[in-house]
Amino acid sequence: MKLTVNGTEHTLDVEPEMPLLWVLRDELKITGPKYGCGIAQCGACTVHVDGSAVRSCSITVGDVDGDVTTIEGLGTPDSLHAVQAAWVAHQVAQCGYCQSGQIMQAASFLDLNSEPTDEDIDNAMSANLCRCGTYPRIREAVKTAAKTLNEA
Amino acid sequence: MKIKAIIAAVLLSTSVVQAEEINLEVPQNVTLEQGLEAWARMYEVVSHPRCSNCHVGESDRPMWSGPSYGKARPHGMNIRAGESRIGVETLECATCHVGSTSDQPHTPPGVDGDWRLAPVEAAWFGRGSLEICGQLRNPETNGGLSFQEIAGHLGHDVVLQFAWKPGGGREPAPYSLEEHASDVLMWGAAGMPCPTE
Ligand code: FES
Ligand code: FES
Repeated sequence: MKLTVNGTEHTLDVEPEMPLLWVLRDELKITGPKYGCGIAQCGACTVHVDGSAVRSCSITVGDVDGDVTTIEGLGTPDSLHAVQAAWVAHQVAQCGYCQSGQIMQAASFLDLNSEPTDEDIDNAMSANLCRCGTYPRIREAVKTAAKTLNEA
Repeated sequence: MKIKAIIAAVLLSTSVVQAEEINLEVPQNVTLEQGLEAWARMYEVVSHPRCSNCHVGESDRPMWSGPSYGKARPHGMNIRAGESRIGVETLECATCHVGSTSDQPHTPPGVDGDWRLAPVEAAWFGRGSLEICGQLRNPETNGGLSFQEIAGHLGHDVVLQFAWKPGGGREPAPYSLEEHASDVLMWGAAGMPCPTE
């Protein structure tokens, strides 16, 4: 089976029923996406498939139809994605565990809705949990990222 | 604004994947009584949580109700399907409801097509038999469909077929896809009667 992750094509020897998250973390050693709940209740495992946010714990690798992007492929340290830059500017992370999922969710959301209202932001991010309660900083960082993306 | 174009694209590409063969032959000489019996069975289906949870009318919040959910409540995590009915304005339904349904409890079900809320006009959640019957037979609120087209749509819209194979310990809708489609045809052949007539 072939799977393209962050622009690199991989050949995998796995059962098609294996969740994408397992493939990323255990087979490909791409550990940005985190395991929180395994049942689409927390958002820690969020990645993109062809640019759309997907909970990688809840899609089997056989059902993936498109190229996968993880936090490792969203931006680079020299050239951060606008969402990552906003996260740094607002010092969003506390323990960090939920943050790769938060960032991937926010990036795909802003791609679909470039002029979000505060309510849109809350609705888009409310399925990504943060045990450290960084929600107010997340909301501010999403607003900053939206502004940057709209100015670009 | 980008959202608009995306919504338009989504509405044009309704999820028509994997057709399931259903018999669309219209029965002959159906009596009014048989038509009403067929409607009574149809109502059991459309008011079942596997169907009505996503037929929420004006609201854009899917419901969680039925034997495995306890008290009826809106979908957790403040999920809003928006005007698009598939959540593109905020969080796409397909972020979690994607690919095939797993049999593990508490996992999000998925189908090989767009997971979405039913159109606003098709408001079923908490509605009575008469109201839903009236909506379904009125071309202005049923998407302009004939009864044959309603039955046909059951054969090719995979998100509807989920109701009979919901997985994850959820209770399926009563009867079967085939029986439900044949009830739609029987009800239609009787002139789409509603209970007070
Ligand atoms: S680990 Fe996937 S949503 Fe929690
Ligand atoms: S920063 Fe700790 S869980 Fe979100």
